[in-house]
Amino acid sequence: MTLLQVKGLEKKYPDGTVALKGIDFEVNEGEFIVIIGPSGAGKSTLLRSVNRLVDATNGAVIFKDRDVVKAGTRVLRKIRREIGMIFQGFNLIERASVLNNVLHGRLGYMSDFKGMFYLFNQSQKKTAYELLHRVGLGEQIYKRADELSGGQQQRVGIARALAQKPALMLADEPIASLDPVSSNVIMDYLYNICREEGIACLCNLHQVDVAKKYATRIIGIHAGEKVFDGKPEELTEDIINQIYHNKKKELVANE
Amino acid sequence: MSEKQLLQVRKQKRLQVFLFFAAMLALSVWSAISTGFSFSGLFTGTVDSTKFIIFDLFPPDFSYIASLVEPALETIYMSFVAMVIGAIVAAFLAIFASATTAPHPIVQVAVRAFSSLFRNIPVLIWTILLAAAYGLGTLVGTIALIMVSTGALTRAFAEILEEIDMGQVEAVRATGASYGQVLAQGVLPQFLPGFFGWSLYMLEINIRASTIIGMVGGGGLGFVIQTQIKLFQYEQVSMAVLLTLVLVLIMEWITNQIRERII
Amino acid sequence: MRIESTYKQNIQDRLEMPIKPKKNIFLQIALLVAVLFFFFSLYQLNFDYARLISGTGAFLETLTLMVPPDISQWQHVLAAALESFQVAVLGTIFGIIIGFVLAFPAADNITPHPTVAWLIKGFASLLRAIPTLIWALIFIVAVGLGPFTGILAITVGAAGMLVKVFTQSIEEIDYGVIEALKATGAGWFSIVSQAVIPTVLTAFLSWCILRFEADMGESTILGAVGAGGIGWELTHAMRAYKFDQAFFVAVVIFLMVFSVELVSNRLKMRMKNIG
Repeated sequence: MTLLQVKGLEKKYPDGTVALKGIDFEVNEGEFIVIIGPSGAGKSTLLRSVNRLVDATNGAVIFKDRDVVKAGTRVLRKIRREIGMIFQGFNLIERASVLNNVLHGRLGYMSDFKGMFYLFNQSQKKTAYELLHRVGLGEQIYKRADELSGGQQQRVGIARALAQKPALMLADEPIASLDPVSSNVIMDYLYNICREEGIACLCNLHQVDVAKKYATRIIGIHAGEKVFDGKPEELTEDIINQIYHNKKKELVANE
Repeated sequence: MSEKQLLQVRKQKRLQVFLFFAAMLALSVWSAISTGFSFSGLFTGTVDSTKFIIFDLFPPDFSYIASLVEPALETIYMSFVAMVIGAIVAAFLAIFASATTAPHPIVQVAVRAFSSLFRNIPVLIWTILLAAAYGLGTLVGTIALIMVSTGALTRAFAEILEEIDMGQVEAVRATGASYGQVLAQGVLPQFLPGFFGWSLYMLEINIRASTIIGMVGGGGLGFVIQTQIKLFQYEQVSMAVLLTLVLVLIMEWITNQIRERII
Repeated sequence: MRIESTYKQNIQDRLEMPIKPKKNIFLQIALLVAVLFFFFSLYQLNFDYARLISGTGAFLETLTLMVPPDISQWQHVLAAALESFQVAVLGTIFGIIIGFVLAFPAADNITPHPTVAWLIKGFASLLRAIPTLIWALIFIVAVGLGPFTGILAITVGAAGMLVKVFTQSIEEIDYGVIEALKATGAGWFSIVSQAVIPTVLTAFLSWCILRFEADMGESTILGAVGAGGIGWELTHAMRAYKFDQAFFVAVVIFLMVFSVELVSNRLKMRMKNIG
């Protein structure tokens, strides 16, 4: 079943940069889609247009029969709470406790007042704790978020997204700021949890090998345009070259 | 070629520095001549002042301390009330004055201009103006201190808001949180340490400023200092000054203790 | 699906949330005390709130009396403004000289003797602790009215602050730099001139700019107690209830202080870009 439809999505920033030049694709339930492309290709803008952290200039994003681009404030809140997101920089509230960071995932379901004054109930706390236990951080829940290592912070980020009970997960370069070992751990958690919970995932990556390992489908973006959309095994060396415009060689040399 | 260029750049830079210092020297000489400044005057002035401090201001009249308790408490009350009100008003204004949270650029410019009126017209002038309208006393002193606090804190708070990590804010927004929730859960935790730190610092500044404000009619220790100078009671003046110093030091100590614990 | 939910049920039965460590309630107590003290202070100050209202009316009335500003005395006012500027320049420069000379022996890492450092720091904090206006009052009694008194007062205030911040800048220097030169057998003066001064120069300059900004504000008000400059014009006009003249003086003061702030912001930006 189709969960998300992106139709003719365009984005032009006020400074004149054109980030997206008409992107079309669909996401079905249960898919784990990896978006690859060189930096500056528009991957991040694309992901942020899905939950409208960035306002698209043109086109439509249909999530569960509702148009994100045209949604009013209240509808947008309802859409956003069903879409979890994890970030390259983790983006935890550093001074808040690990538990509170996960509880933030429930804000979209709470009244304004309760959310503003930290009035989370016991069952919400319990659920948050279980999620943290699931990502192996059951012992750290009262620590301040900035006391954790990068890999641990990203796991809190995953738990925060899961607390939303999302139907779709957006992951913007989730392992770009991590060392190789933590990267493996994070990708495993992300993949397994999405599979187990039946959450569709849209994940930006720049490592082609990681993309091939996890993806059920790969989308290649170059200069704001979709240049590839298919199964991992269809992604040939030629196509990779095309996506990265011969930047592939540099990448290999860096690794 | 490049070495030649480098030499040229260095020469140019040296010339710039030389011109800068020459300009400063010229400015000083011009200022010295038109204000009738002389080094012999500086010397005799320093000697006279030192003599005055040693023979007239010392020793402070400690018996006078009993009648200073009341004005000293007034100074503390005024400074504290003004700090609290100023911090609350400034926190509100700062939301409109910072580029990251202002609803519209025009609002931002307007609020900034408004708060700079409080900052750039010296407090003494505000106090003189206020005293003409409200009469002398602690009311004027408190209002003047509120103006000082609001002006300084609005700028400081706005700068804090401009430096917060927008990634954290974005993440809270992405969960479907409302505007109020984003402010409370995403912005506030990053804002609070700076808010408390600056407010405490403001308390110190207010106590110092209150002496000045008191001199033109704002009550407290400053008023006593001014009155006793007019009466040539210098030993009582130095006692009042000394007490102000002690107050400032105590405040500094207390605020440091609190600051260490919350940040 | 059913298997999954029983698994979850099991987990829920087994998992017990760890006990929350005792929260540091210092902040809550401090806040509570602050709120109580706020209301206590208000009670003690015992404001006449009727006067607050009538005074606000009077204040607004005063403001209307101020417009249009009376610029008839402009020659007089501008001359006084110039004098304030000159007082600020000279005061700041002398303050810088004193601060520069005293900061090196006062810095813990290069002081010739710890006692010297302690003495200078104590002296500086004494200078700093007394507001410039009170210094001005003291100097008026000692040397009489006029711009010279203003210069002295500004010098003392500026020196007090600059000794402190210059010293701090020097103390932040990486000790390795000094050690390296010491190892070559360099003397105190050559260490200071070769290693210390080049390292701290940018920081010093930005402090000097900041101090000039503050001194400009101070020198405009020193006149209010008779230490020369534009402040006197303002007090004079206010005492004579010539609010329109006072407003013109206030505008001039605002422009002076504001333009100094603008220029200094520019300079700071440029130094940031270079350094």
